[in-house]
Amino acid sequence: MSIAAQIDDLSFTHPGTDLPALERVSLTIPAGESVALLGPSGAGKTTLLALLDGRLRGWSGRVSVLGAPLDPDQPPPRVRRPDTGFVFQEFALVERSTVLRNVLNGRLGRMPPLRALLGSPTAHDLEIVRAALADCGIGDLAGRRVDSLSGGQRQRVAIARCLAQEPRLILADEPVSSLDPARAGEILSLLTGAARARGATALFSSHQPDLARRFAQRIIGIRGGRIVFDVPTPELNEAATADLYREIEPMPGTGLRAVS
Amino acid sequence: MRFREFGGFATSALIAGAILWSFATADVELTRLMSAGPRIADFLGRMFPPDPTVMAEIKKGSAETLRIAILGTLGAVILSIPLGILASETMVARAVFRPVRTLLAFIRAIPLILVAMLMVGAVGLGPLPGIIAVAFHATGMLAKFYAEAIDGVSRAPIAALESAGAGPLVRLRHAIWPQMAPVVARDTIFRFELNLRESLILGIVGAGGIGFYIQTYVRSFQYDKAASVTVAVVVMVIAIEAINVAMRRRFT
Repeated sequence: MSIAAQIDDLSFTHPGTDLPALERVSLTIPAGESVALLGPSGAGKTTLLALLDGRLRGWSGRVSVLGAPLDPDQPPPRVRRPDTGFVFQEFALVERSTVLRNVLNGRLGRMPPLRALLGSPTAHDLEIVRAALADCGIGDLAGRRVDSLSGGQRQRVAIARCLAQEPRLILADEPVSSLDPARAGEILSLLTGAARARGATALFSSHQPDLARRFAQRIIGIRGGRIVFDVPTPELNEAATADLYREIEPMPGTGLRAVS
Repeated sequence: MRFREFGGFATSALIAGAILWSFATADVELTRLMSAGPRIADFLGRMFPPDPTVMAEIKKGSAETLRIAILGTLGAVILSIPLGILASETMVARAVFRPVRTLLAFIRAIPLILVAMLMVGAVGLGPLPGIIAVAFHATGMLAKFYAEAIDGVSRAPIAALESAGAGPLVRLRHAIWPQMAPVVARDTIFRFELNLRESLILGIVGAGGIGFYIQTYVRSFQYDKAASVTVAVVVMVIAIEAINVAMRRRFT
């Protein structure tokens, strides 16, 4: 079995805070699977995904992504960055540019520097972009400006941009948190389907257990920066899920309940 | 006495002191003010009717002023692109943008007319010193505006392109530029308008343009001709402002 990401004894505290966002996390993400990162808000899901994308500095432990170790002190070499694609929670699209331009932006890391600066795609680039647009069902929106699109359409553009960079590992941060249940199912289905069709690994975070069950082969439960469970989807039991979302115990003497 | 009350009192005393000091030393005499009325009336009388025979000079001077403003703005844009990038906290480290911003503030602090006088001394009379002076002077403001435009865009798409493997200049071109382009267009048009207004007076120090004729006619007491040129200047400023208002509406 080949491995998409290997994490050993990872801890991280955001600068300027006291509480660790991730504490002694060890994980193996097998290649080619769709994996869900399940947990309440503030559990450390976004932090873990950003870290795997090579965007966080100052963590401790050992992390390797797609066979290459990450350095806690400096960003990964630029040539490796397109291998890891990221679908941002707030889409992170260039609002004033067209859908086509935004999806082409996913190709920039694969182009030679001058071609990237000029933004002039080759026929090969365009072919990949067209396929990504078609897979996301937005081929007819290519000429539209992003600021004229709905939330669901923007999410499709964000996924298409990620696919255009031909990632071997797709990290998606709460890709459906802003969508209604029907749309959420469509988006996750296209995300995990496109990943499978390309032989890529997909790791998406969610706070909805039912969606994780439907679209992931493996589910990792995270709470308070610690891994609570890491099981194949069929083995996930109700008790473990319920425990993941239980309210924090009332603090003695305060009478207040902190809800995570 | 509480600090705020004291602060208010000190400010009032300072303003009152400054006004009294100015009156005491500025040679403001009532008799001189009283005699100014008839003189201004005489002055205006001699300006009227404006002499229309200077049309050729007006055309030549306006065209030269327009050229100074256009080329001066072009020079400022060329200088402001690299300086704007170097003054932006998004693109460079604090150790770079701090000194560049200080340099720009220094440039802004030097009045255009002073730069123009220095340039006339350096390269001689004519529109060339005017163009150089306008380009230099306008860069102080325009580069600051460009830096603010860069720093004002949404950061998320920049992070997304970095994650996709795009370098700093590629991110500037494809994530920052599309967001800042309308701001740059608006700021550049605004600066062009200022350049045109300010370059109208450059002729007074010999740095080219229509100001030369106002200067010449006033000095030689040909007030009717000076009046014609003044009317031409006013018309030009109003026309440029009208064009700018229309263009700015398009770019926002």
